[in-house]
Amino acid sequence: MGQRVPHVTGYLTEHFADDAFGTLAGYRARGGYETARRVVTGMSPAEVIETVKASGLQGRGGAGFSTGLKWSFMPAETDRPKYLVCNADESEPGSFKDRILLERGPHQLIEGILIAAFATGAEKTFAYVRGEYAFPADCLERAVAEAREAGLLGERIFGTDFRHDIVVVRGAGAYICGEETGLLESLEGKKGQPRKKPPFPAQFGAFGMPTTVNNVETFCHVPHILARGPDWFRSIGTEKSPGHTLFGVSGHVVRPGLYELPLGTRLDEIIFEHAGGVPDGKKVKGVIPGGMSMPILPAGQLDVPMANEYLRERKTMLGTGGIIVMNEDTCMVRVACVVTYFFRDESCGQCTQCREGTGWMNRIVERIERGGGESEDLAVLLDVAGKMEGATICAFADAAAWPVQGLLRHFREDFEAHVRERKCPFPASFEL
Amino acid sequence: MPRITVDGRDYEVPEGRTLLQALDDLGVLMNGVEIPHYCWHPKLSIDGSCRLCQVEIEGQPKLQIACNTPVQDGMVVYTRTERVRRAREGVMELLLVNHPLDCPICDQAGECKLQDYAFEYGVPRSRTREPRRALKKRVDLGPTIVFDQERCILCRRCVRFCREVPGTGELGVFGRGDRSVVDVFPGEELRNDYSMNVADICPVGALTTRDFRFRIRVWFLKEIPGVCTGCSRGCNIHLGTAYNRVYRYTPRRNDEVNETWICDEGRLSYKAIGAPDRIREPWLRSARGVLEPATESDALGRAADRIRTAAEAHGPGVVAALASPHATNEDLFVLRRLLAALGTEVHGMAVPRGRGDEILLREERAPNVAGGRALGFGEAEPVLDRIRGGGVSVLLVLGHDLLDPRYEGALDALRRCESVILLDTHHSELERAAEIVLPVRHAAEKLGTFTNFAGRVQRIEPAVEPPFLALSDGETLHRLGRTLGLAGFAGVYDVRAISRAIGSEFPAFAGRDVDAVGPLGLPLAGDPA
Ligand SMILES: Cc1cc2nc3c(=O)[nH]c(=O)nc-3n(C[C@H](O)[C@H](O)[C@H](O)COP(=O)(O)O)c2cc1C
Ligand code: SF4
Ligand code: SF4
Ligand code: SF4
Ligand code: FES
Repeated sequence: MGQRVPHVTGYLTEHFADDAFGTLAGYRARGGYETARRVVTGMSPAEVIETVKASGLQGRGGAGFSTGLKWSFMPAETDRPKYLVCNADESEPGSFKDRILLERGPHQLIEGILIAAFATGAEKTFAYVRGEYAFPADCLERAVAEAREAGLLGERIFGTDFRHDIVVVRGAGAYICGEETGLLESLEGKKGQPRKKPPFPAQFGAFGMPTTVNNVETFCHVPHILARGPDWFRSIGTEKSPGHTLFGVSGHVVRPGLYELPLGTRLDEIIFEHAGGVPDGKKVKGVIPGGMSMPILPAGQLDVPMANEYLRERKTMLGTGGIIVMNEDTCMVRVACVVTYFFRDESCGQCTQCREGTGWMNRIVERIERGGGESEDLAVLLDVAGKMEGATICAFADAAAWPVQGLLRHFREDFEAHVRERKCPFPASFEL
Repeated sequence: MPRITVDGRDYEVPEGRTLLQALDDLGVLMNGVEIPHYCWHPKLSIDGSCRLCQVEIEGQPKLQIACNTPVQDGMVVYTRTERVRRAREGVMELLLVNHPLDCPICDQAGECKLQDYAFEYGVPRSRTREPRRALKKRVDLGPTIVFDQERCILCRRCVRFCREVPGTGELGVFGRGDRSVVDVFPGEELRNDYSMNVADICPVGALTTRDFRFRIRVWFLKEIPGVCTGCSRGCNIHLGTAYNRVYRYTPRRNDEVNETWICDEGRLSYKAIGAPDRIREPWLRSARGVLEPATESDALGRAADRIRTAAEAHGPGVVAALASPHATNEDLFVLRRLLAALGTEVHGMAVPRGRGDEILLREERAPNVAGGRALGFGEAEPVLDRIRGGGVSVLLVLGHDLLDPRYEGALDALRRCESVILLDTHHSELERAAEIVLPVRHAAEKLGTFTNFAGRVQRIEPAVEPPFLALSDGETLHRLGRTLGLAGFAGVYDVRAISRAIGSEFPAFAGRDVDAVGPLGLPLAGDPA
């Protein structure tokens, strides 16, 4: 069994040690659904959107887009049904936060969804859970059934005209089905391939209807914002990146796991103070700060506050907050092999640059790792990564290009050593 | 209408279109405004996957794909900047990472968009050291199409075509990433009435037709514009010719008629042109009752003789004609004039029929049914009835359309005539009833016009010369008229003059002669259809 409660908890996860919190009764005992009741019976949808906008909540699915702003894109006046999608495809390597939110606090998520549905006028939410998350999906399904039984889902919720329902959908195991339009295709029973934009989901989303897609964690913040107000939320984290987030720490650390901390917490503080540093007295070599698609940082740059405005200055991003720590023995060419293999394998294959670029980069780095590298390979790698950036249907190609650029930016010497010595100079730390 | 600027030139473009669509609507795409593209096709849904059509748009930080960017008033577009050039280079290089070096043995060479664009927009060197993908070579996707999976650039045009045009959806993309392959669904084959269009729209040599592949290198072909004769749609085509032979028909775009498609049956109908059963010389029935080769003047002399004798004995009403919707407007107009000069009004037109569909193919399986009707040729049945009643002595027949099952017993009826004069391209059963047989030219061998089912007058021109002596129906009839000494039939035949003359007698054809209709044809004047 995995970890059930974060090592450090906060408003999102403080009750996660309590098994009852996962049940409707337990959640209600902690005041659960009272915020949703107050919102639905006492506020207008526009007021809710304004509150969320004022809170500065940014989506926790990777792109960090303003949640309130996204909700406001949903057409207010329309005869067509509107939908929400709860993105629980969590497939970013290094990321495992949504899973715990589903397993330990499914009613918190449902309450967030209810408030979002009220704000956007959505009549249904599709919760798309990655296929491998069988247990988290079971937890959510059980909670949805409980909520429906209690009249918290269905018609006339809280005695008003507001109605809503949640459908739990299980994915079939593809990273690209986490990209919001790839998700929509998969949801509709088609091959998971991102859609070209325009049209955007707010106009043409699930089954062609106006749709808003949010990450599990994003929804989970919403009841707290509505309960305690935007000022409270803004008092946590940084000015530009308010609130807590769940950092998932993995790799060469003493205490891997989840940490609920304010955005802007320093990366070195998370690694050394919270996660206990690197085992066996080894040094850190590099850290991926936000899930595998985010560029790596070298040991000398761990003093960065974990918020996009600071991470961007170091040419990386918060992503999903999945922190992967690598010790001094790590071969960064091997890391590049793993990273490029993943993206080669997971590319949906529509766009020329992504389909061909991911494969080409992977073949080059594997050749370098096996001792067949040439000096011009590094330039070709950077050039291919450059060609993939910002030019495709979805951000997957960027996500595939950035880590390679990051590895070459900070660990070029590892690559050059492979080329020079015509072999991998590191002990074989893991199988390719 | 929104106004946009592309490379400093202003265009007024239709509303609600994407950039590539709008430029295509204006006829300037790849014809003044060069935006290379693979996945976009004017008659298929937008895919947006090849990423080759990127352009720079003022106010947008990233390059945008022209195929999926809606036009907006005041949009300023650049297609020739350094950034655009580099983006195209990038896509081209990546497309070639896995493309086999097959050009010397690839049948698409010479009309391959990968070759063309690589030359125009690519980088002149290769940096790939990695082995390329090894995939299926030369597999049959069905009865008509041969597939080379390695050459496929995954533009998915073929996949969309099968889903969107015939609606059969035999093809899909299987796998992900660089393991993506196009293939037929398991247990299926690519088999539909329009299947061969996938070879036309495939930008590379991945899909080729079993019929045409390796018959000739395409750069030896001359592409002559023409019209398919398979049905009354009159799809616009190119006749690919070399060494005085037609090697293929390919669709020629005409949004009013066939968009960019043709049916497989029509496409393969070119085979009739050089077929061994072409009538290559005049034939006359001898005293022993068998058809024997003859000279043109003997044949025309005998025909004139029969007509004159019958008309003198029983009046011109015993001379009748059955026209063919395979003949051009000009041919049929000459027939009208001949009949008028003879003083007979007994005529009709036999129309062969077949299965039609909702896409292109029409039940009337000949190109000029509407033309024949517009020129006054009615149904064939009344004429056949009259023949059966013994009221016809001499019958002029154009073509063998009477063999259509619909005219059951026509051959027996014809035997009741004293003399049947047959003008035809191919040998057929009909000759059993004929006394005089004259060879005529196929549509691929003559100048003229057809009127399609919707009343569009379309031009055909000679793409090849028949390797034997044969004239068009019109010219043959002109010579018959001359042999008969009829007024108006003196002098040499001038098909252009005939074409113009149609308009003075039939006002709907005014300004619709061979030289006036242009490459895409013109609807009949004042035609309600
Ligand atoms: C390749 C790719 C994979 C993604 N995977 C996920 C995912 O597993 N979960 C998720 O919430 N968002 C994922 N996203 C981001 C979604 O597209 C979308 O931005 C997000 O769900 C929006 O939610 P938010 O605004 O609440 O962050 C992915 C994006 C890309 C480009
Ligand atoms: S960028 Fe990659 S994953 Fe995204 S649509 Fe294009 S090919 Fe698919
Ligand atoms: S076979 Fe041809 S048309 Fe079909 S996807 Fe491949 S390249 Fe495109
Ligand atoms: S639809 Fe008719 S005109 Fe068009 S290609 Fe087929 S037979 Fe020829
Ligand atoms: S033509 Fe626009 S992306 Fe392919």
